[in-house]
Amino acid sequence: MLRYLSTRLVRALLTICFVVTFAFIILRLSGDPALLILSPDAPPEAIEAFRKSWGLDRPVWEQYFHYFAAIAEGNLGRSMRDGRPALELVLERVPATLALTIPALILKIGIGIPAGIYAALHRNKLADRLTMLFSVAGFTVPSFVLGLLLVLVFSVNLGWLPSGGQDSWVHGILPVITLGTAGAAVLARFTRSAMLEVLGQPYIRTASAKGLPWRRVIIDHALPNAAIPTVTIVGFMVGSLVAGAVVVESVFSWPGVGRLLVIAVANRDLAVVQTILLFVAATMVCANLTVDMLYGWIDPRLRTRRVAGAG
Amino acid sequence: MIGLTRRDLLKAGAAGGAVAAFGRPAFAQADNRPSITVAVQQVVNSNTLEPLREQSNVGYRIMPCFLEALIEQDLQRNLEDIPGLATEWKRIDERTVELVLRRGVKFHNGDEMTAEDVAFSFGPERMFGPAGGGGGDQKLFTGVVAGDTKDLPPEVIAVARRFWPSLDRVEIVDKYTVRFVNKRPDVTLEGRIGRLASQIISRRAFTEAKNWLEWARKPVGTGPYRIAEFRPDVSLTLVAFDDYWGGRPPIKQLRFVVVPEAASRINGLLSGQYDFACDIPPDQVDEVTKNPRFEVSGGLVTNHRLTCFDKNHPELRDPRVRRAFTHAIDRQLIVDSLWGGRTRVPKGLQWEFYGQMFHEDWAVPAYDPAEAKRLLREAGYKGGAIPYRLLNNYYPNQTATGQILTEMWRAVGLNVEIQMKENFSQVFDRGSPRGVRDWSNSALYNDPLASLVNQHGPKGQQQQIGEWTNAEMNTLSVELETSTDRAKRRAMFRRMLEICEREDPAYTVLHQTAIFTAKRKDIAWKAAPSFAMDFRAHNFKMNRG
Repeated sequence: MLRYLSTRLVRALLTICFVVTFAFIILRLSGDPALLILSPDAPPEAIEAFRKSWGLDRPVWEQYFHYFAAIAEGNLGRSMRDGRPALELVLERVPATLALTIPALILKIGIGIPAGIYAALHRNKLADRLTMLFSVAGFTVPSFVLGLLLVLVFSVNLGWLPSGGQDSWVHGILPVITLGTAGAAVLARFTRSAMLEVLGQPYIRTASAKGLPWRRVIIDHALPNAAIPTVTIVGFMVGSLVAGAVVVESVFSWPGVGRLLVIAVANRDLAVVQTILLFVAATMVCANLTVDMLYGWIDPRLRTRRVAGAG
Repeated sequence: MIGLTRRDLLKAGAAGGAVAAFGRPAFAQADNRPSITVAVQQVVNSNTLEPLREQSNVGYRIMPCFLEALIEQDLQRNLEDIPGLATEWKRIDERTVELVLRRGVKFHNGDEMTAEDVAFSFGPERMFGPAGGGGGDQKLFTGVVAGDTKDLPPEVIAVARRFWPSLDRVEIVDKYTVRFVNKRPDVTLEGRIGRLASQIISRRAFTEAKNWLEWARKPVGTGPYRIAEFRPDVSLTLVAFDDYWGGRPPIKQLRFVVVPEAASRINGLLSGQYDFACDIPPDQVDEVTKNPRFEVSGGLVTNHRLTCFDKNHPELRDPRVRRAFTHAIDRQLIVDSLWGGRTRVPKGLQWEFYGQMFHEDWAVPAYDPAEAKRLLREAGYKGGAIPYRLLNNYYPNQTATGQILTEMWRAVGLNVEIQMKENFSQVFDRGSPRGVRDWSNSALYNDPLASLVNQHGPKGQQQQIGEWTNAEMNTLSVELETSTDRAKRRAMFRRMLEICEREDPAYTVLHQTAIFTAKRKDIAWKAAPSFAMDFRAHNFKMNRG
């Protein structure tokens, strides 16, 4: 198990190194932070002074090695735009994003999984078709369209909810619904497919044939076997908790990590972008690791296979 | 008949006791002024409120709320110079202006503004940095930035030196009189004193700030509102400064909130969450005004949209080809179709508030496709491709304008190819040949030095990035900076317009920029003919119905 974990960790580190390098090259070659932060109308001397003071006038490879060495020492750098440490800026925004993404995740799981199971159990009936209709609509409508639509209905026309901002928990309702809807739709479809596949398996027929009540067949035999693909999707969703609300945060003027990322990329504020990417990569890696563990817990056959493979 | 129970009497007695115990009755303390929320695309670009670093149009919008200059521009009329923190000023000689300070002006920290503060505002600690220094160490994203100390960031020093290239000193004559002494003659001193980045700050507040960044996040000035809270990229909250020399501000709390999406700003306004929504796209104006509770204020500002040429491109070396570009554009059609007639085609790169320097009889090149075709024939243009680096609506209607321009150019035989770019450094990139690109030019004070020389002269962006240069233009630029003969200056400016817009086109003006602010109809407020928003008492009134 330890060997398995260490392999995963090494892979995770390599992934993070790749992400940092890739982002550095793309960001440094596609825009000049001095021009973007100070605006193209700033005096050329000011732009030159800014470049010099941040070392942007040095060769890119030198900038890269200097930056990489600093990261290795735990120094994630400073925002060229803000002047503050990038980590401080990002950490400041994380609670706001989690305030959206965690309730949205609960919403996704709370609606998506039961809806998928229900649709599978009522296959080809009206309930199934309606559930899938909403599901398809849920994940095909882009979140910015859904967000603006909700604002139009609940803010502009009905006046029930605020259209944006982060002043109170009420301000979070529409963004959470927007975020949750698409995720719930995806989960519903995956859960339905997984359930349908499992329900067609011989062991389900066997369980039914030996006289088990249908409810027990579903709970004891169908659900655990259908859980694997669903857990994978949920894992991805957990992995995107930190920066998975970029569009929604922009539509609802929600000051979270997503919006910070958009602004930092637009300004080529390297240290901030890299810090966010590191956070995302770390969250993804942790989520994947957790999902791997869960596989073994849900399906003991996988655990046995893994141990056998490792040995 | 009103029935009073013993319980009512007890309540009244308790209330009376509370009033006696806690001082003046509540109604005497009530502040009925409204709290106003303004939705903006961005509060500032550089995350600081220090005008020496924040040089953007969005920053200029909010600065007058809390910072003021000695000479102000009249935001309610045509930006003429009017007394600000100075009540009067006079020329001592060609290098010196003397200003008498307004008495009784308080900073937000309660200090009285004196000549000491004025001299400090234009001194090395706040503007120019140490003599010959101020470069700072190289940091490569990870070191200590200048903002961590009292040292000025190098770009701040560079901006100050650009705006005040030859300021010798600010002399304190007495507590309420100062003299700006230039090293060389300069007729634009008054204009520079009144421009963005020349605002007066509190010496004590600057000195007491822990570091430059702390200062730049909460500068202490004399404006009608003081900074209560600044959350970069989120909001700026200002509160009324009741000791304001210009009278009690009409708004108790003025909050600018960042709402990046135009649709979200409009929705927020219509739902009642915001009182003002800035930067409304021209095509959304009618959508807002359809609702009887809202209206749109705004219009022309001192900014023109241009198309610039890179004369190093093989196809653009011959000025006749560039001239063909300028004659192929039906500017009025663009104004009418994309702006609904809400802006205009200006008289070249100049504005009426230039006063004597304004050339009323100047005009942009006429729309004349036949002339454009003739020029191309004469130049022997064979249809070689000319790249047009275009940003995706960095300016309002930019992409649509770019597509229309391309078709107009194509109609006279110019083979222009649009290349979409993400940002200005990609537009400026010299890795492949540059041809045509977009820009906008502002004038922050009333002289061509503020625009034509500043942006197209030898130290201007266009020459600095190697797009264009012209020896005569460069000579004239230097002369215009130092000459004090007004008639000669006017003639020189005319010649510069001829060079840059006709003979050897550096750019061609498309149209004036217009900005639109949607707002509640029950608020009487008028947009200024500049990016600045004026929320002082003379320009804000709630019409309670």
